[in-house]
This record gives sequence, structure tokens and C-alpha cells, in this order.
Amino acid sequence: MNVIFQSTYYTLYQAANERCFYVDFGQKTVRMSLCQLLALRHKVMSINIEDHFDSDLNAHGFEVLMLCNKEHLFVLNTLEILDLKTLVSNSFVSLGLSVGALETITS
Amino acid sequence: MKDIARQSMSIKVESMDLLNGQIKMEAHASATYLAMASWCEQNGFFTSAKFFFKQAEEEREHMMKIFNFLVDTGANPISPEVTGINHDYSSIVDVFESTLEHEVKVTKSIHNIVKKARELGDFATERFLDWFVMEQIEEENTVRDILDMIEVTGTEGVGLQMIDNQVANWIE
Repeated sequence: MNVIFQSTYYTLYQAANERCFYVDFGQKTVRMSLCQLLALRHKVMSINIEDHFDSDLNAHGFEVLMLCNKEHLFVLNTLEILDLKTLVSNSFVSLGLSVGALETITS
Repeated sequence: MKDIARQSMSIKVESMDLLNGQIKMEAHASATYLAMASWCEQNGFFTSAKFFFKQAEEEREHMMKIFNFLVDTGANPISPEVTGINHDYSSIVDVFESTLEHEVKVTKSIHNIVKKARELGDFATERFLDWFVMEQIEEENTVRDILDMIEVTGTEGVGLQMIDNQVANWIE
């Protein structure tokens, strides 16, 4: 497996022989197709991090992420979400599918 | 190292995001035209209502065209959430003026995606949008012609009824 990108808490690997990717979340490693990786990107980049600093919009500063058709569930705090955003955006640049300059997803 | 990502997806994720935004915009346009059709029906402009029912269908077709393009390129199309549809109009002139405003907004958005696709070197997205660029010229022209007709006819006396009858000329 080749490392595509490593952030503070997470790592994305490419498994060429299986034609898939693995995301190491620390507690567990999740196997993903590119479609599932795109779905993860959409979910993560749709999170408005500013809500974490407004107790009316996000009282506890946590996000619940369900991945791979609800096969995996993660509860992540503000720092972990920020780190996951870094992982996702940089990974797509490393994969050659993004130039990294335009972040256009809005919730 | 095998390029699995590129083998699975033919366009840039930035283009995908912009096209998903356009999907949402087309869905919003479709819902807006449906609201306009409802207003026209309730206020006795039955031919204009038919025109807007047809426009609503067309906008949905545009949305599906983009949706299917994303499917074909291995991207991740997102089914849009549509909210905030205006149902209040002060007159039939207001309805058509709002339509032109809406079409201009859609045109600007399409042009912006073409510009960004060009910057990204995403030729597939740029070429795909050629059809939309030409379609928007037609859409804007139709509504402009209707507004010109309204100006010539005037809204006094039987003018409003004549306007509604004339709209039939723009229903293909």
C-alpha cells in the first residue's frame, strides 16, 4: 500500500492491487472505493466549522460522521474535523483530481 | 504507482463541485417556474401558466443532463435540496421580469463554470457546457421577447388578456 497523504491524525493509503483506498482513522482502518472517498469528501467539506464556535448551532462541538453506507460511524471533535478536512483536500491534490486552489462545496 | 483515482474519475473535483452547484440552481429554477405557473393559474393567466409548466420541465431536463454527465465521468452527483421558493408576485410583468433575472443568473453561473474549467484544464467539462451556453442565449432571448411584447401591448384595458394570449407564441 502506498501513502497518499498523512495528516496529524489520519492517513490515506492506495491499495493498487485491490483498486481501492484505505483511510486509517486511528481507532480503525476503513476500506473505501473512490466513490466512497468522494462521499467522505462531500460530507467533510460540507461541515461548517464556524458552527462549532456557536453554542446555538453546535452545542458540544462534535460531528457524527456515517461512512460507507452507514457501515461506519465516527464521532469527531473540532480538531479532528479540521484535520480530516486537511486530509481530504490534500489527498485529492495528491491523487491528481484537484488543483487545491478552489474549495467550492457549501452546505 | 497505478493511478486508480484518474482511472475512476475523468474530471476534476472542483468541476464536480461547481456542477453540483449548477444542479441545485437548475432544480431551484424548475421549482421557481412551477411556483410561477401556480401564480398564473390562480390569477387567470392560463396560457402563461402552460408556458411556465413547460419551463419547469425544461429546467429539470437541464438538471438531469448535468446529473448524468457527473455519473458518466465517475463523479459524485448530489441530489439537490430546494428551499426558499417565492410564490408572491405583484403582476404578470413582475413574473416575467423575475424570469429574466433568474435566467441571467443561470447564464452567469454557467459562464463561471466554463471559466473555471478552462483554468483547470478540464476540457471535458468545458466542452460539455458548450450546449448550455447556447441554450442560455435562447432562454434569455425568449423572455426578453415576451417582455418586449408586454411593453408594446401595454397592461391597460384588455392588454393583460392579450399578453396572456400572445405568450402562446413562445410555447414550442
